[in-house]
Amino acid sequence: MKRDKNIYLPLRAKIKEALNIGNDVKLFKVIPPHPPFSKGGKGGFIDYLPGQFFMVGKWGSGEVPISIASTKGLHKHIELVIRRVGTVTTALNKLKAGDTLWLRGPYGNGFNTDSAKKRDVVFIAGGIGIVPLRSLINFILLNKKQYGKIFLLYGAKNPFEILFEEDIKVWNKKGVEVILAVDVEDKRWKGNVGLVTEHIGKIKVDFKKACAYVCGPEIMIKNTMKELSLKGMPDKQIATTLEARMKCGTGKCGQCYHGAEYICTNGSVYTYEEIKKRKVYGP
Amino acid sequence: MIKELILNKNYLSYWLRQLRKEMELIGPMKDFNGDFVFRGVEQIHEISLECPASMPSPKEFVFPQVEEMFEYTGEEINDLRNNKKRVIFGIRSCDISAINLIERFFSGRSESTRIKRFEDSCYMSRRRNSLFISIGCNNPEPTCFCNSLGTGPFLESGFDIQLTDLGDRYFVQTGSYSGERVIASFKHLFENVQKQDYDDQYEIMLSAQTKFEKRINLEEIREKILAGDVSDSFWEWVATRCFECGGCVYECPVCTCFNIVERPETEDKGKRVRIWDTCLFKGFTRMAGGNIPAEKKIMRIKRWWFHKLLYYPEQFKKFGCVGCGRCTITCPGRIDIATISQKIKKWRPE
Repeated sequence: MKRDKNIYLPLRAKIKEALNIGNDVKLFKVIPPHPPFSKGGKGGFIDYLPGQFFMVGKWGSGEVPISIASTKGLHKHIELVIRRVGTVTTALNKLKAGDTLWLRGPYGNGFNTDSAKKRDVVFIAGGIGIVPLRSLINFILLNKKQYGKIFLLYGAKNPFEILFEEDIKVWNKKGVEVILAVDVEDKRWKGNVGLVTEHIGKIKVDFKKACAYVCGPEIMIKNTMKELSLKGMPDKQIATTLEARMKCGTGKCGQCYHGAEYICTNGSVYTYEEIKKRKVYGP
Repeated sequence: MIKELILNKNYLSYWLRQLRKEMELIGPMKDFNGDFVFRGVEQIHEISLECPASMPSPKEFVFPQVEEMFEYTGEEINDLRNNKKRVIFGIRSCDISAINLIERFFSGRSESTRIKRFEDSCYMSRRRNSLFISIGCNNPEPTCFCNSLGTGPFLESGFDIQLTDLGDRYFVQTGSYSGERVIASFKHLFENVQKQDYDDQYEIMLSAQTKFEKRINLEEIREKILAGDVSDSFWEWVATRCFECGGCVYECPVCTCFNIVERPETEDKGKRVRIWDTCLFKGFTRMAGGNIPAEKKIMRIKRWWFHKLLYYPEQFKKFGCVGCGRCTITCPGRIDIATISQKIKKWRPE
């Protein structure tokens, strides 16, 4: 065995199931690979936290950072949700059950769940941003006793883009107060209409004491965090996960460099306080 | 513990020839068109130590422009990490300082425990197998300003072996275990240092200091930027002069950003390689879907400058510049570190 492992070598992972869960969005259930250098040889699957991500690749196409949608302790497989956007995700989207994926990771700091203990928790998701939050919601539901009331505000472009409807039903049963919204009016939609920021007021929670996890497109994150802050929520209780172009995931390649931060290792989860202080959106 | 010895110049080529038997010897040589480049040495007498800062910088031996990381065939992966033993002779103090600085970055050994750090295996494998024999600069070039940054012209530590040219002999200092080891096997070539040698060495160090034409105080510049005294209109002006050629980044011995790409041969056979990349290119931060966080040129310009002048000191307590002057030679828009520092110094906020 080599003295030290090469951080750029990916692990082979078999796809157990590949499900179409939305327009151009696929959910891959991946059999967790064994880390080759784990202690005691065969023991121990890859360990991961909500909010972390894998570098997911396919030979000939390259690698992209993909957030983890599953929760350790609840899901047997690593679940990755991939939306077809660029060249690599297009190639990945063609994969089906039985095919091979190449994984590196997990990378990123993951969500800080300790700071949310004994507090009411608000999740705000926009579009595909529900994916990393799904991992966190399930994690918090597994340890429900340690937290207060749980709210989910989830906005999508149209009713067909709402992902994880099954999960939402389960969460609702388990006591999560769910508010769904779509951006534009639709005949088949009887619920809320408008951007998520317009519905924050509907959450019946003491904003000064609660904490929030926000995830979605950059503009939605910015506006939502500002709105929460205006409602009186302290900046350090608002967390989000940022995205950037990443090639290494290990804080070396510099592609995700923003301000003084390598988002892949210093983040990708930041509190609003850190974003302001560290000027993560800076030049 | 630094050991000091004297090497007669007549013995140098014999010593290098012996070292070449154990490892690949790389040295500065005059190219057919007059450039000085570092490459494998075939004829020892072709090594040219009268060279200015080489183009490109010798960082390519620890962090090459194109590095093959691994190759894949179906489900098999073959690690292509380079662990060839090398001795790089004739490298300058500024480049040694640069390699020490980027080693701190790539090795992931950091003061901060808040964040998980990784060791870049491709870089460290090359670094651990390289031995550097550096030579102090008796005659710095007009573009050099390493004395302003403490990264040259002679180093006090951080080198493997440092030579100082005393005319007919070299003053040899060993600063690392691997440096000591290659000298120990050729003890008979080296003599003990006499008082005259110390005197000569001191004289040469003093005279080298007087030959610098540039006086650059980056700390002053950093404080001015942090105080908000350099407005966007200044950076706007810098941006209009930038051609986005990436020359400064490719020549800079401290710049480390790279891109990872695939070199497929067939459907399931190929290589994954990393290549130098530049934050000055618009596509550098482009995400899937076409969103470019650093869309405006001024944002990319500031990003590069702030990385070197603000974020490097924040992380490593050192500037991301070693004063080698390569950007001064390369930049077609005359917006290199030395020139811009002078401009910032004179800049008055409107």
